[in-house]
Amino acid sequence: MGLIGIKYCGGCNPQINRSGLVRDIEKLLPPGCGLVTDHTKNRWEMAILVCGCPIACADRPAIRSMAQHWIRVGGATVDRESVPESSMADVIVGRIQALKLEFRSR
Amino acid sequence: MALKTPEQYEESLRKLNLKVYLMGELVKDVVDHPIIRPSMNSVKMTYALAQDPQHEDLMTATSHLTGQKINRFCHIHQNTDDLIKKVKMQRLMGQKTGACFQRCVGMDAINAVDSVTFEMDKKLGTGYRDRFIKFLLMMQEEDLTVDGAMTDPKGDRSLSPGRQADPDLYTRVVEKRKDGIVVRGAKAHQTGAVNSHWILVMPTITMTEEDSDYALSFVAPADAEGIFYIYGRQSCDTRKLEGSEIDVGNPQFGGHEALMVFDNLFVPWENVFMCGEYEFTGPLIERFAGYHRQSYGGCKVGVGDVLIGAAALAADYNGVSRASHVRDKLIEMIHLNETLYACGIACSSQGHQTASGNYLIDLLLANVCKQNVTRLPYEIARLAEDIAGGLLVTMASEKDLRHPEIGKVVEKYLKGVASVPTEHRCRVLRLIENITLGTAAVGYRTESMHGAGSPQAQRIMISRQGNLEHKKALVKDLVGIKD
Repeated sequence: MGLIGIKYCGGCNPQINRSGLVRDIEKLLPPGCGLVTDHTKNRWEMAILVCGCPIACADRPAIRSMAQHWIRVGGATVDRESVPESSMADVIVGRIQALKLEFRSR
Repeated sequence: MALKTPEQYEESLRKLNLKVYLMGELVKDVVDHPIIRPSMNSVKMTYALAQDPQHEDLMTATSHLTGQKINRFCHIHQNTDDLIKKVKMQRLMGQKTGACFQRCVGMDAINAVDSVTFEMDKKLGTGYRDRFIKFLLMMQEEDLTVDGAMTDPKGDRSLSPGRQADPDLYTRVVEKRKDGIVVRGAKAHQTGAVNSHWILVMPTITMTEEDSDYALSFVAPADAEGIFYIYGRQSCDTRKLEGSEIDVGNPQFGGHEALMVFDNLFVPWENVFMCGEYEFTGPLIERFAGYHRQSYGGCKVGVGDVLIGAAALAADYNGVSRASHVRDKLIEMIHLNETLYACGIACSSQGHQTASGNYLIDLLLANVCKQNVTRLPYEIARLAEDIAGGLLVTMASEKDLRHPEIGKVVEKYLKGVASVPTEHRCRVLRLIENITLGTAAVGYRTESMHGAGSPQAQRIMISRQGNLEHKKALVKDLVGIKD
């Protein structure tokens, strides 16, 4: 599955544990798949935007251009749908797998 | 370089030759002095968080001059999003340090000087803007901490600068040479002065022609020959000399202010951004004050977050967190704190572009923001003390808690909820004491009152910007009065 980008918002008033969520996602990823925050080299194929609240202030064009496909976390929402914090990592990993299948079928 | 690591920042301070007096002595090692060190740690945090992927989106920006990634504290605001991010960054910094992190004054100063030098050059044909941009490039490239220095001692407030019994009570030019100027005077209450690489001096009040020698703005290395500092005392400051971790309240972070003295300081012309152009003193002061009043809608909110969290923990540890009046007090604290944040965000989102291209906050809303800051932190602090209980100011020392014999007694009788170690309760109460009565109260209480201008200064601006004639016209229109 390769490397998946992680881009955090600045974290001024997070309603979720952002780093905890990323750690949980990392644990659920299949072997050969990892998370990376360094965006200086190539455009990511897929990335997770980890924003602490629903405002998701980091969701802006300059950030969007850093990856082809994004999964957007804004507080306890994934792609704008409410998800309990305890289930967010599962939901996100499910989306990653669905996106990967979609890539392969193209 | 563009972004210094926290270690590089600390190392760069060690290379400075600052002349700092503290309690009647010349400080040999400024960086490691136990009273000063926590304030350096706070500034250092502005460098650490800029390196952290979890915070870089707020802590860094893209330079409009070079396109490089820079620390936001060195950034010229390019849009309202930058202004909003500034406030969010300050809230974050307040949360992470529980103290004043000092670097805002420089950021606010460069943004004020940027637009004013542009307008000065355009109207008067001066060449200040190029000099300022040259300095700004260095500041961004070397990730410098700059102290924006505005407040003069001011002596007799009923007299103008030139009519003071002692003319040095306002910072002034005493000699103009071919290669530069000689400056004498002082700047009072200088936040973060001895943790800074450079100082950016601005005039303190709107000057008239007769006071044009006081219409002065320049930069100088913080350790230039002719500058020295007298470090300001803070309540409970000597607790830092006791080697105690609990009793200081906040063992890692703090803030500081100092009296900055110019003893015939020579400033080469290339570092001078205003010298005699008294008609531009008003806009420079108004803009710096405006930016700095916006700042308080971020930094004090972050410290407020810490104080609210500490009050909530104190309630947990006292076993009263379910009491309805305690919950209501916590709600009130949050309401007051978010009111300040709302003002900071509002004046940012309503910002506008200046002629130089940078963005200025809405000055009316920034002054309303700061006016609220002169009041609401006091009520938040009062509620925190209410929830914490009297033990906040009667508690035994850490040495007593650790004592081989009476330690057990302290442990036994200072216990709150059985499952919580007494030490945890002591730590939280000492932090509340630190913010409301101790060293950090300088930043959270009295600085909220007087920093970025005392309450009356905001009321003057609110009066100027309040558009009262428009409000009168609305009424006339509604009730059918035709003048």
